[in-house]
This record gives sequence, structure tokens and C-alpha cells, in this order.
Amino acid sequence: MRSKAIAVGLVLALFGLAAVAGPALAAGPVKIGVVGPRTGDAAATGKAFEEGIQLATAWVNAKGGVLGQPLEVVFEDTAGAPDKAASGFERLVTRDKVAMVLGESHSSSALAEIEVANRLKVPFVVVEAWADPITAKNYRYVFRAGPSNSGVVNETIAQWVVAEGFKKAYIVAENTDWGLGIAQLTEAALKQAGIPFEQLVTERKSQDHYTELTKIKQYDPDVVLAYVYGTGLHYFVAQAGEVGLTPKAVILDGAGPPSLWPDYWTNVGDYGDLECFVSSMHEKVELTPLAAEFRENYVKAFGKAPTDYKSRSIYDAVLIAADAINRAGTLDAEKLVDALETTDLLTTRGRAKFGTEKGGPEYHQWMPPMLVIQWQDKVQTVLYPPEGATGKLKR
Amino acid sequence: MFALALTNGLVIGIVYALTALGVSLVVGIMNVINFAHGEFYILAGYFSYLFAHTLGMDPLAAMLIAVAGVFVLGLVVEYTLIRPTYGDDMYSLILTFILSIVLQSIYLLVFGPYPNKPPGWVKGATDIFGLFFYGNQRLAALGAGVAVIALFFAMLKLTWFGRMIRAASQDREMAELNGIDTTRLNMFGFGLGCALAAAAGVILAPVFPVTPTAGTPIALTAFVCVVLGGMGSMSGCVLGGLVLGVVENLGAAYVSTGYKHLFMFLILILVLLIRPAGLFGRREA
Repeated sequence: MRSKAIAVGLVLALFGLAAVAGPALAAGPVKIGVVGPRTGDAAATGKAFEEGIQLATAWVNAKGGVLGQPLEVVFEDTAGAPDKAASGFERLVTRDKVAMVLGESHSSSALAEIEVANRLKVPFVVVEAWADPITAKNYRYVFRAGPSNSGVVNETIAQWVVAEGFKKAYIVAENTDWGLGIAQLTEAALKQAGIPFEQLVTERKSQDHYTELTKIKQYDPDVVLAYVYGTGLHYFVAQAGEVGLTPKAVILDGAGPPSLWPDYWTNVGDYGDLECFVSSMHEKVELTPLAAEFRENYVKAFGKAPTDYKSRSIYDAVLIAADAINRAGTLDAEKLVDALETTDLLTTRGRAKFGTEKGGPEYHQWMPPMLVIQWQDKVQTVLYPPEGATGKLKR
Repeated sequence: MFALALTNGLVIGIVYALTALGVSLVVGIMNVINFAHGEFYILAGYFSYLFAHTLGMDPLAAMLIAVAGVFVLGLVVEYTLIRPTYGDDMYSLILTFILSIVLQSIYLLVFGPYPNKPPGWVKGATDIFGLFFYGNQRLAALGAGVAVIALFFAMLKLTWFGRMIRAASQDREMAELNGIDTTRLNMFGFGLGCALAAAAGVILAPVFPVTPTAGTPIALTAFVCVVLGGMGSMSGCVLGGLVLGVVENLGAAYVSTGYKHLFMFLILILVLLIRPAGLFGRREA
């Protein structure tokens, strides 16, 4: 009788403990979601995300996982379309029961997803969608561990344009939330710096840029700030060479990854040399010991050197999420937000810390340092910032 | 600027016409709208890239084998997927739409998400009468495109196969009564339509590298050319392509570069309002 009472008491005690501890002690892996384009025009980003997720999950689980359980990442394809992005985000939360969502590389998609995150009260760490309103809306559940348009323009691009002493600039923007937003910020920065400029908008899916390039050539700029993503950037660089705009003018790829894609040189040929691009990763320069470890693990896992820096961006985001969950000690959304707000973690791109002052895009924003790099005889040369420079601009 | 916009408009117009001819042919003979037309274009680009880059074949041989391969695939698709749907246009439309999605997924899986470009035939650019520079590969593609279009029209006008196509396009029942095996004609007509898409793909891939999803806008532009020129009219289709190319480029030069493709739809609406059957289309009896 007594032993029965003890057994019943033990069972009740265990149930009670489980109820108090909540999901933190639930058996099985802890799930977090990732949103990003695995299909569609920007499927290359999905591939980079997959690689980063694989390495980050292995790294976290090798160090004991989260809350004593293995970490599992569920990757939902958004195909770069806002409607699919919003429904994919919702599926991750309602079907897969993820504790947190990370990722995204299209600003239009991220702007749809933050509304879902805010409605469902699920922490969302945006990785590579740069439009300012993503964090400027000051949603409690929305963070960004990656570049913002204003950060890239004001801390890197505009300062580089001034530092190089360019006399006339041309801004070319694709007609997307990212392209139009970053072009507007660049206009303001160039006006403030007193550098004359012209600008035009191009269609995101356009293959032929001859008319645009001829207009640009007539203006005779010495730098072209190209906010064109994906294959469009390859068309733009190759055709700029054909119409004779380059090498007289220097092109800056304002996004970065397309200049590092495996077929960049096949697609643009010799016209790709002397092109500049922004990036948070250089083929040889590493900012932290973790970045060197990432490179080593990447080569081991995929048999090639990392090129698309977005693999490292999502890697950092997974580490930030795991760190926040461990510090919160629970999967409760409110406590996870509090933990994210106090993040102070050394990642591959430097020390991650989110802004907590409301009122602008700096709220819940961590801006990793960005570099301006130039292809010089197919070798990457860092031009900006001066403290990280490995060479000078060639024309 | 005017000279460049006009020249580029004509070049891009030939590109559009070449891409659209296959659609027009299949619509004319079979009354089937092939939604996977753009994917056959892309497949030829990938084949050309694969044979020339990976297998190290001569670029011209790689192009010819790519076109032949897509032609055979077109025959297989007609035999297995399209033939059972004859009599119900909606089924073939849905089937080719699904086929386009399946092919896009296969391309992504096999070739990856990055753009692929077969080797160019020529390098550099030419100074056109001191007015502007124009890419040599584009000029070569223009020459090849015009040659393919000319060959196609010669086949249509001068050969028995061309006569059969024209007869079936005009009156299918009468063609059957005169001994034409329209089932076999459908098969070869569909294959030829796919081969035309493939010819456009191998000619243009060295200018515009191929990606898994690049076929969708190509097919859309081809459909606009066909509707603009008149459903099933081959010469209308070429004229439609040229009109689109020139209007887009002049619009981008003098109105706005941001709405380049909008001009395409504006001109389509305008033509359909004035001539609902298209520029060269036949009015229904």
C-alpha cells in the first residue's frame, strides 16, 4: 500500500515538474525554423543557407545541443515570393512548432513575414533582408543579425565613394523593396557628401541592359553603384563591358554574392575584372577565430572554399538562436526575446549585440562589418575599410 | 541614343520572334498551348553548356546535338503526354503547365541554382558607325537567329512537310481527307516546335546564361508575340517580336527603364482593342 502511494506520488511529482518546466524539458530535439528561397530566381541563397545550417547544427550539437537536447532546423522554402513566405512562416510555427524562426534574404518576403511573427508572437531573426522598415517598425519579436540598407550605405558604400575621391556617380536600382530602398539612402548620402549623381531604375527580371547602360555612359560617371541582384548582375557587368562603360567607370555590386558565384567568371568573362562588390567575407581575411573554424569545417564538408557569404550569415544566426535558447532556459517566446536582447556572442563576423533603443532601424539590429572588395586579376583585394585594406583601387 | 535603342530593339525583336515561332507552330497545327516551351529553351541551353564545357565538345556540335536531343524529347512528350489529351485543349494546357514546373525542379536538382553559360562564339564588341559599341556575340546571335528564321520559312514554303503544316493549320479535316496523317504530323510538329525553342536556347544562352526558372519570362514573351501577331500566323509572330523589341527599347530610352516590360503589355492591349485577332490573325467565320 505504502509503496503504491510512493509510486503515485512520484508520478504526480514528475508530471508537476514537467508542467512547471514547460517545453524546455520535453523529450526530442528542439526545433527552430529557417525561411529562405530554395527555389526561384534566388535559389542560390537557399543553397548557401543549407550549407550554413548543416555546419551550424553540427557545431551546436557537438557542444551539447540546446537545453540538453539536439537542435533541429526545419527549412521552409519561400521561393522569394511574399505570399509563400508568409504562409511558410505560419506553417513552421503551427505545424512544426518551432521555437524561433531565422533567415530570409528577400526584403519583400521579410516584410510579409514580420507581420506573421508579430501576430503569432514568435521571435524572428532576419539574416540577409536589408530593407530598413524590417527593424524600423520596432516589432518586439523581430531582430536582424545582418546588414541593413542604411548600415551598408552609411557605414560602407558612401564612405568608400568619398574615400576613393570619385567625382560623379550613377545609381542603378532594381525595382524591389531592397533596390529602391538602398538607392534612396544612397542618393541622400551622396547629396550630403556633395557628389553629383544620376539614377535610374531597372526591372529585376530584365536580361538586356543595353539601353540603361547607354544612358549611364552618356552621363560619364567614374563609379556605378549597381543595386541589381542575382543573374541580372552578371548580365549588367558583361554588357557594361560590351558597351564600353567599363573599365573607364568602376562598377560596385551593392549586394555582393552574385560576384562570388561559381559561374561569375564564365558569365562575365574578362569584363568581370576590376569590378568591386560589398561582402562580409573575404577569401583570405578572417575577423574572428570562429570564422577560421567555419572555413575549415566548410572545406571539410563540401570539398571547396566558401564563396557566398550568406552561408556564414545563417551560420551565425543559428549560433545566436542556440545561445539565446540556452540562456533563456526555456522555449517561452517572451523569455527568448529577452535573451536575444541581451545577446553578446562572438560570431564569425564579430561580436553580435542587438540595439535596444526604439525609434529607428537600429532597434533589434546588429550590423556586422562589411568590406568593399575589388577583383584584381581574379584575386580579391580589400579596399575598404582602410584598416582592413589589402590593396588600392585599380582602374 | 535613338540609333542604339532602334538597333537593340530589332536585335531583341529577332530574339523574341525566334523564341515565339515554335509556340506559333504548335498552336497553328495542334491548337495546343505549350506552357513548357520556355523550359525546352532552357534545356537546350543546359545541354549546350554540358556538352561543350563538361564533355569538351566543339561548341557547334554541342549546339546541334542539344537541338536534336530536345527535338527527340519533344516527340516523346507529344506521344506520352499530349496525344491522350486531343479533343480537350484544357487538359493539354494543364499538362504542359505541370510539365514546366517539373522540368524547373529537375533543372534545379541537376544543374543547381547558378546561371550557366555555354562558351561564346566570338569575343569583344564592334563600333557601329562611330555611334555606339555593340557586343559581337549579340551580332553573331542576330545572324544565326535570322538564318534559322529564314530556313524555317523556306521549309514552310518549299517542302512537302511545310505544305502539310500549312494545310493542317488552315483546315485540319480537309487535310485528313487529302491523305495527311495528322496524328503523325502533330508529333513531328510538336517536336519541331520544341526544336525551334531549342535553337533559340543554344543561340541565346551565350548572351543570356540559363537558370532553372529563366524559361517562364521567355515563354510569357513568346505568348505575347504570338497573340500580337495573330494566333498561328508565322509571319505575324515575327512581326510581333520585332514590334515588341522596338517598343520596349524606345520606351526604356525615352520614357522609363523601370517599366520596360510594361510597354509590351500596353502595345498588346492596344493591338487587341483595334484588331482582336492580332496583326495577321484570321477572323473566326
